[in-house]
Amino acid sequence: MPELPGRKVGIVACSGEELAEGTVTRLAALKVLEQLRPGETVTICLPLFLAGGAGDRAFARFYPTIAVDGCDIRCAARATEQHSGKPAANVVVTDLVSEHGLGRPEGARRLDESGRQAVVVTADRVAGLVDELLGGQWNRRSGSFAEGPPAATTDQAPQAGCACGSAIPVQTVDVDGEAVPLAALPLIFEQFRGAGKAPGVDVTRELLDIVRIYNDVPAGTDEAYTAALAREYAAFCRQKGA
Amino acid sequence: MSPGERKVLVVPCSGIGKTYGTVSREAAYEVTEDLRPGATGLVALSLLVLGDEDARAAVRAHPAVTIDGCKLACAARMVQESGGHVTQGIAVLDVYRRNRELKPQGIAELNEGGILLAHAVAEEIIAVVDGVLAGEEGSTHA
Repeated sequence: MPELPGRKVGIVACSGEELAEGTVTRLAALKVLEQLRPGETVTICLPLFLAGGAGDRAFARFYPTIAVDGCDIRCAARATEQHSGKPAANVVVTDLVSEHGLGRPEGARRLDESGRQAVVVTADRVAGLVDELLGGQWNRRSGSFAEGPPAATTDQAPQAGCACGSAIPVQTVDVDGEAVPLAALPLIFEQFRGAGKAPGVDVTRELLDIVRIYNDVPAGTDEAYTAALAREYAAFCRQKGA
Repeated sequence: MSPGERKVLVVPCSGIGKTYGTVSREAAYEVTEDLRPGATGLVALSLLVLGDEDARAAVRAHPAVTIDGCKLACAARMVQESGGHVTQGIAVLDVYRRNRELKPQGIAELNEGGILLAHAVAEEIIAVVDGVLAGEEGSTHA
């Protein structure tokens, strides 16, 4: 049965090769992905927003994303916003270095002690932002929190890693006359059918709950979404059963 | 880097999700810092993704060797989309296939196999760099 991606936070590092701060972004991102928040984070290579497909470009709309930049050119933040979606949060290494009174990192290839300290403070800042984002109600359409301050959270944790080559499947459905792209819907349908859930009122309600995790379902539209999901899921099961 | 300067640009993908991306990065540093520091320059791929005009102008003005860690070939594609010419696109996986004993592991930090594979990639790059610059010199004197 296909696995739905768990709720995670995306991390996009600039990885700038010319500056030590670029190496700091890369190592800090990896520290968060591999050590600090391995089950709750996923990454993608920045150039895939252009070199990849539509599923890759959906990354920052699907995952609330933290852009980690080495300098104030902010390639990761700006390119993510241009080609994918507005990052939920931004971290700039040069700002953190000043804030913590660290020496300027040196050694793009092999970081010096200041660079290694910068990795630690950058990773800590990113990990804190991951916790905040997982606790908040992230609105994928507006690129902002829907309400209130984020609270502490946990989630089931599939393995963290690279999202390249695992583009998010999207299905466009008619919701009350409007074509609405719903992220992960094909996987959700597959999972429900695999679990032997036949179309029906209770199953449609359950579908809506799952769809809501990965998509913004505007207030007051539950009825329209329910009708659309009931229709699409019935069609899906008919097609698969044929 | 001025447009008239005789240099070959090295553009690694620096992919963050796989060890081959780190090999591409290490190989680029080895070429530009150790092996051919005067004859080569490093271009940050993120600047090309952003559409930075200086970076685009650089890849349009100089021959480029790209190093990619996976088949998506982000570095080669970004150089081409920026209007540059990829003199040679090197795929780390191809170099690995020719050097199976150099198995790379690690992303944040490469193992010894990864460092040696990066060296093998770097050796292939400098052969291209030397050939390009010798060709340019030849055409200058012709």
